[in-house]
Amino acid sequence: MNQAYIFDAIRTPRGKGRQGGALYECKPIDLVKSLLDALVIRNNLPTEEVEDLILGCVTPVEDQGANLAKAALLYAGWADQVAGFQLNRFCASGLEAINLAAGKIRSGWEDLIVAGGVESMSRVPMESDRGALLFDPAVISKVGYIPQGISADLIATRESFSREDLDFYALQSQTRAAFAWDNKYFRKSIIPILDQNGLLILDKDEHLRPGTTLEKLATLSPVFKAVGETGFDFLALETYPEIEKVQHLHTAGNSSGIVDGAALTLIGSAKKGKALDLKPRAIIRAAAVSGSEPTIMLQGPIPAVNKALKIAGMKASDIELWEMNEAFAAPVLKLQKEFNIDQDILNVNGGAIALGHPLGATGAMLLGTLLDEMERRNLTVGLVTLCVGGGMGVATIIERTDQF
Amino acid sequence: MIKYTKDTNNIVTLTLDMGDRNINIINHEKAKAFEAVLDHLKAQKAKRQLKGIIITSAKKNFLEGGDLDYLNQVNDPKKIYDLAQNLKTLYRDLEQPGVPIVAAINGKALGSGFELALACHHRIVIDNQKIRLGHPEVKLGMMPNVGGTIRLMWLLGIEKAFKILTSGQSYPPRGALELGMVDALAKDEKDMIDQAKKWLVKNQGQHRPWDDPKRGKIVGGTARKPDVARRIQILSAKLIRETNNNYPAPLAILNTLVEGSLVDFDTASRIESRYFAKLVCGTVSENMTKAFWYDYNKIKSGLSRPRGFGRFRPRRVGIVGAGKMGSGIAFSCLLRGIEVVLKDISKSVAARGREFVEKRLEDIVQEGKILPAEKIALLEKMTTTDKSSEFETCDLVIEAVFENKNLKAKVLREAEVHMDEYAFYASNTLSIPITKLADSAVRPANFIGLHFFAPADKVHLVEIVKGAATSDETVARAFDFVRAIRKTPIIVKDYWGFYAARVQNTYILEGITMLNEGYSPALIENLGKQAGMTRSALAMADEVSLEIVVKYEEQAAELYGSKYVQHPAVSVCRTMIDELKRLGRRQGKGFYEYQENEDPYIWPELTSHFPSSKTSYDRKKLIERLLFAQVIEAVWCLQEKVIGTIAEANLGSILGWGFPAFKGGALQYIDDYGLEKFVDRCQVFEKRYGQRFSVPPLLKRKLKSDQKKMVDIDL
Repeated sequence: MNQAYIFDAIRTPRGKGRQGGALYECKPIDLVKSLLDALVIRNNLPTEEVEDLILGCVTPVEDQGANLAKAALLYAGWADQVAGFQLNRFCASGLEAINLAAGKIRSGWEDLIVAGGVESMSRVPMESDRGALLFDPAVISKVGYIPQGISADLIATRESFSREDLDFYALQSQTRAAFAWDNKYFRKSIIPILDQNGLLILDKDEHLRPGTTLEKLATLSPVFKAVGETGFDFLALETYPEIEKVQHLHTAGNSSGIVDGAALTLIGSAKKGKALDLKPRAIIRAAAVSGSEPTIMLQGPIPAVNKALKIAGMKASDIELWEMNEAFAAPVLKLQKEFNIDQDILNVNGGAIALGHPLGATGAMLLGTLLDEMERRNLTVGLVTLCVGGGMGVATIIERTDQF
Repeated sequence: MIKYTKDTNNIVTLTLDMGDRNINIINHEKAKAFEAVLDHLKAQKAKRQLKGIIITSAKKNFLEGGDLDYLNQVNDPKKIYDLAQNLKTLYRDLEQPGVPIVAAINGKALGSGFELALACHHRIVIDNQKIRLGHPEVKLGMMPNVGGTIRLMWLLGIEKAFKILTSGQSYPPRGALELGMVDALAKDEKDMIDQAKKWLVKNQGQHRPWDDPKRGKIVGGTARKPDVARRIQILSAKLIRETNNNYPAPLAILNTLVEGSLVDFDTASRIESRYFAKLVCGTVSENMTKAFWYDYNKIKSGLSRPRGFGRFRPRRVGIVGAGKMGSGIAFSCLLRGIEVVLKDISKSVAARGREFVEKRLEDIVQEGKILPAEKIALLEKMTTTDKSSEFETCDLVIEAVFENKNLKAKVLREAEVHMDEYAFYASNTLSIPITKLADSAVRPANFIGLHFFAPADKVHLVEIVKGAATSDETVARAFDFVRAIRKTPIIVKDYWGFYAARVQNTYILEGITMLNEGYSPALIENLGKQAGMTRSALAMADEVSLEIVVKYEEQAAELYGSKYVQHPAVSVCRTMIDELKRLGRRQGKGFYEYQENEDPYIWPELTSHFPSSKTSYDRKKLIERLLFAQVIEAVWCLQEKVIGTIAEANLGSILGWGFPAFKGGALQYIDDYGLEKFVDRCQVFEKRYGQRFSVPPLLKRKLKSDQKKMVDIDL
């Protein structure tokens, strides 16, 4: 069987995803180009050897529309023969790109692929692509789709997570992320964003609040209360009549931050890796997607992780290090509970609550963060998972190796 | 210094009186004068003792940008970026205190000077045709850097701002009003201040549109709007057609407008600073500033004008020949208020020249540069005649008749009889030596060559050809005349082809050589354009006519004797002339086919006589050959003292025959390329293509010296 090797995984720093954020002035294509340039330099990469660029992007309109992947390849001056496309599996997009690349490599039909994602949430706000699932009343009423924040609150309600539980988790994310930055754990993979003159625009994640405390977090008001009370809470009760009411516990402090960023990985076969003298860092052992009940939505990682473990022939306890996207605190706590994960091996360098969640890019960012940390701790097996709109989940298991 | 006065209505007038020169200049140093004033204004505002601000000038101009020396020497993008950002902060502080500001524009407002006006809520300008407003930066390969790009876009829309900024044009008050660059015209200074005060009283609580998040909108919409997006697509394509991707400034302007329209004002301003820094630190702006600022100013200041003669002010000019050339010269003279006597063989022929001039004057009335009444007044200064006796009161007479030695001698004799001793006579020959023509002159000291280029009403270059007997005073007066009609004079030796035609010919010959080598004519023509030449080589050959192209080579052969090596293109020209009878455009057939009412097209049979045998080509190399041929010839001209200075050689090449402006001219090309690299490349070409690419001794000497730049050559 062909194996899919990870040769490199890089990302941009994450800028605050709003006007005034450092990356607001950067076009998404420039974020991708910065990473493409860096991949060439870091890997001494002859671009004509790359067959495809798979780019996750959740809001592929405006600056991010019309197949940004191919546009970025041409703009970055990569060889004409490299193909490219953009995919959207909501928050799974960045990881889905990697999983798809791995599948293509393992099929033997392709040998070298760049996969990752991009999202400039400041320039192309969430949901500016509209869509049936979120905006068509015929669909909303039929499928019971509710805003994700309310789904997160619904999980907290059903699992009896308290506001303190969530805030405590959020604080931990902040502390861990700050610690990781202070100790330069991300250094290997961050590509600073420079302007056309080479002047620095951003070289550090911008969303962190290292000084925050439980007290401060406690003062924040629930974000999804108002919108829930307009009617979505009742939509939730349609599916979950056993609960009395949805407790609105998620705040801006224990939910993921809105940020801009991009991430890319270089994935290929042993044959191509040897030919180009690329250094293998890990193989992709298993990749899985799954769907689950869409109203509660954010429990999708559970079936996805089970599926991936089954493919890999592993048990949850075989996983030495976990990354689950911190879209909201509750879904992460739910996963932890479900698989009985020790908090010391889950999201050890913080997550999207502290660092932000650039929708299409996050999956690829998490994979890189996981791999860097596995190398630092000298671990072998790690897992990345994300909750996904529509009740989907995605999971990837990687296994470190330094030879083909 | 900024004078501060406040009237009883709490309206403050800031009168700019900066520096010791007679014009106001703003740059990063001078702008510091604003800081104290701004602090004071803020304090006044806080005390509610400020109702409005008028900015005007005590000098004859309003304000102009002027940091070129600094920009030229600094190559650190960080410094340039910071400089732009700092100036922006000042202008921003000015427009943001929340009290309305009026720019009362009493004179020229250009570049950063016009940007200051744009940072005011309202712009009033005195209706004086001499005043110019706008953004000439693009002509030096740069762009506005104090938010002008962004403000103009908000006020006028992306496309209009793009047109104004990329035209590089300086607009007269009426033209600027029509475009919306200013809001009102005033009769005079008093009217301007009265209007300003009235406006301020009426318009309290003003916000700039970009500071008004609710109602503020970019005129016409952002780049996101579907119809605007479509136009931007077209503008991008048009830009390539016009610049062949050789000029980064217009593209930087379009990028700034498009990207800037998608973000808030301050972010957009930052984007502008980044593009600006990139342009300033690039070689194109360096080359263009060298040519159009430094070289031009050297020439203008009289670098090559013989010294010791007072300024000559032509009042009345005689012109022989009412063809396109003569009429074009007549128009250029008239435009500057110089009386013109236009003579031809009959009154009706001469009247055709008048028609041409009238039409051209109407054009500029339409452009808003002169008033209809002025057009009539100017036309009254023009006399058309069939009699040389009308030249009696002329200060000089320019002959622009057909290129024939006998004819030229005849009209010279006819005119000279009527001219007084002090007047001088200029022949507009392009290939007959002035010294030879001077044989027929009664006063050869007063006889000179003035070589205008077609179309004479548009081309800015005039070659002044000094014959053996021409006096220095005549040269000085010819120089002053050319300056008086606002053209650029370069002084050239009376030697085969003078300067422009001689060097231009090497471009034509190289193109023809490529045809002979088996490159397709379309390729040669397209690569010429992509190289940055304003015209392609074969088309230019047709324009000049193949007989003249060969004639220059014959003259060279005669002069250089045994040293002359025949150019491989000559045999092609002979085939074209002798066998194929295709002499060029005038005959309606040359390398191209010329049919009435149809765009010229490459003669379809051309490739059966010169088969396109090459199946592949090295684009860069072919482009270099086309340019190197000219550059080397320009060096020879310098060495043979055909042209006296690098400044003249550079600007002459751009204005005269369309050498790429983004390279800064034929000699600046060497510095742009790097002297050593250039010499190496010449040697490669010489080996492969022959002696015409050999390195001129002047360059070899230069290479051995310490200074490795053309600009430093001690002449």
